[in-house]
Amino acid sequence: MKKNKILIIDDEENIVKFLSMSLKVDGYETVSAYNGKQGIEVFKKEQPSIVLTDIKMPEMDGLEVLREIKMIDPETEVIIITGHGDIDSTISALQFGASDFINKPVKDEALAIAIERAEAKIYMRGQLNEYTGNLEDKIEEATEEIKRKSNFQKLLIRSSNDGIAATDKNWRFVICNPEAEKIFGCKYSQIVNKKNMDIESIYPPDIIKAFRNAAKEEKDENLEWKETSFSSIDGKKIPIKFSGRILYQNHKMIGSVAFFQDLTDIKRLEKELVESEKMAAVGQTVSGLAHYIKNILIGLKGGSYVVDVGIAKNKTDKLIAGWSTIKRNIARVSDLVQDLISYSKERKPDYEICSPNNIIIDVIDLVKDFAKTNKINIKQKLDPDIKEASVDPQTIHRSLLNLMTNAMDACLDDENIDKRFEISINSYLEKDNQFRIEIKDNGSGMDSETQEKLFSSFFSTKGGKGTGLGLLLTKKLIEEHNGTINADTNLGEGTTFTIRLPYTKLADKIKDPVKEDLS
Amino acid sequence: MNKKVLVVDDDPDVRTFILTVLEENNFIPIVAHDGVEGLEKIENEKPDLVTLDVLMPRGSGIRLYRKLKTDPSLKHIPVIMLTGIALKSFMRSQKTLSEFQGEKVPAPDFYLEKPVEPDELIDAINKSLG
Repeated sequence: MKKNKILIIDDEENIVKFLSMSLKVDGYETVSAYNGKQGIEVFKKEQPSIVLTDIKMPEMDGLEVLREIKMIDPETEVIIITGHGDIDSTISALQFGASDFINKPVKDEALAIAIERAEAKIYMRGQLNEYTGNLEDKIEEATEEIKRKSNFQKLLIRSSNDGIAATDKNWRFVICNPEAEKIFGCKYSQIVNKKNMDIESIYPPDIIKAFRNAAKEEKDENLEWKETSFSSIDGKKIPIKFSGRILYQNHKMIGSVAFFQDLTDIKRLEKELVESEKMAAVGQTVSGLAHYIKNILIGLKGGSYVVDVGIAKNKTDKLIAGWSTIKRNIARVSDLVQDLISYSKERKPDYEICSPNNIIIDVIDLVKDFAKTNKINIKQKLDPDIKEASVDPQTIHRSLLNLMTNAMDACLDDENIDKRFEISINSYLEKDNQFRIEIKDNGSGMDSETQEKLFSSFFSTKGGKGTGLGLLLTKKLIEEHNGTINADTNLGEGTTFTIRLPYTKLADKIKDPVKEDLS
Repeated sequence: MNKKVLVVDDDPDVRTFILTVLEENNFIPIVAHDGVEGLEKIENEKPDLVTLDVLMPRGSGIRLYRKLKTDPSLKHIPVIMLTGIALKSFMRSQKTLSEFQGEKVPAPDFYLEKPVEPDELIDAINKSLG
């Protein structure tokens, strides 16, 4: 810190020199004058911040110097050098604003203390000025910031895609942004700050109720988003999503704010999306169906060629071969039609008391010859705890037969001809009144893409040999039976299908979804 | 002398049809039900030409085709692919296998997509046999 400049005024030259020297040693810059008048001149020229002046001087004394200096710059620190016991002039000096007094003869110590005090005062004043100045700047800055923020928020509310409207504690409108104007069907100027306009005149009854309840319960959180519709003043009906909250200050309600989302476009898009998905599904279905029918036609065409040859050449073996091809393909058409009918019909399970394990054994019996010819080993492990239960045997039979056929196809389809193919079919009684049947093969397995499409219509991995309806139908049957089905598969390693069905002992305990719907 | 043609297809309807077409056009048909049996018959019967399905259980047509075309003693036998799979998919799988095994195979002499007309098939066979 730069040391202050000090002016020394005394009519005694020796004292001036002594003080000046002493202060210079302490690092101060000093200027001197030997009488009052000269003192004022030097003061004006040098603008020192501290003045040391003798009180007793001819012509212009210390008191006059003090007054003059204080008039020029009231912030100057003036230290008066007084003689002993000069009480009257000391009091006057105090009244004129002297900072301090030093007694003659001036001692170094006393001088140092007086100067230090003066410096401290100057420093404090400087700080204070700076602080006050800063404070003014800060207030200005803060005011600007508040204005800016308020404008920003106004802009934010104005430009929001959501309708925003706020009321005071008497439910009269204080804010309404353009989007809200659109939904309300009226202008800002028609509703904001209008005595006869409150939420009753604008909001639909359910929103009014939600607000009134929230206010009554002193709810201090956003109301849950709710879909409703607005019948605006101009008679349009607009689907909207609504949320809002009651505003509090110091636990007292000061108003409410509401947020509205216009759902007109979203509803339209949703509808379009559903439509286009439907169309895509229809397209997929039609193309799957066309593909399957094409394969049947190939068979029929080939068969009729062979029959033609048989007729022309009078060869009975050709007639038989061609005819059996035709019959096989007629059977495929009939299977397809059967599958389509079952799929399109809602079927109620036909519950009977029977043993699920026995159904599994029946299904294994049906496929074991085919499995043996194709060198596929079938293993079974049936849980003896599964006794007779109320199930639809047809559902279980059809589902298991389909899954077993799939499992065998997966084995035959496997390119790894060194594998020893095996299908295991296991049943387990589970805790929460259900039982589970697993059909596990170590055949070709499926990639993730195939797995995704597994239960979708007309998707077949069997080329033209499958209708692409088998798993879809199985799933439908199982679900109609209040069960679940899922698949776990790894490409090259095999697939496990798991069926879970309710295990109910008494027929009348079965929930009937169709009846429930009717009641 | 009548030429020997091996038909490899798992679909009995297709086998009956192709067999009849071949007989009607004075070829000697032999049949195989899958890829494994197909290779056996090729080695034992030495057919003059093979018609091959792609999607079959037990050694697909893709695999059998590769075996034929990479075996020095068999690669001269012309092969007509007869399938529901598009040529593009077939060649893509062959290309993938070529990269994997580091051995390239040529495209088949003819690639006929089902349904095939008898005349179309006979025409392809005659052209393949020269």
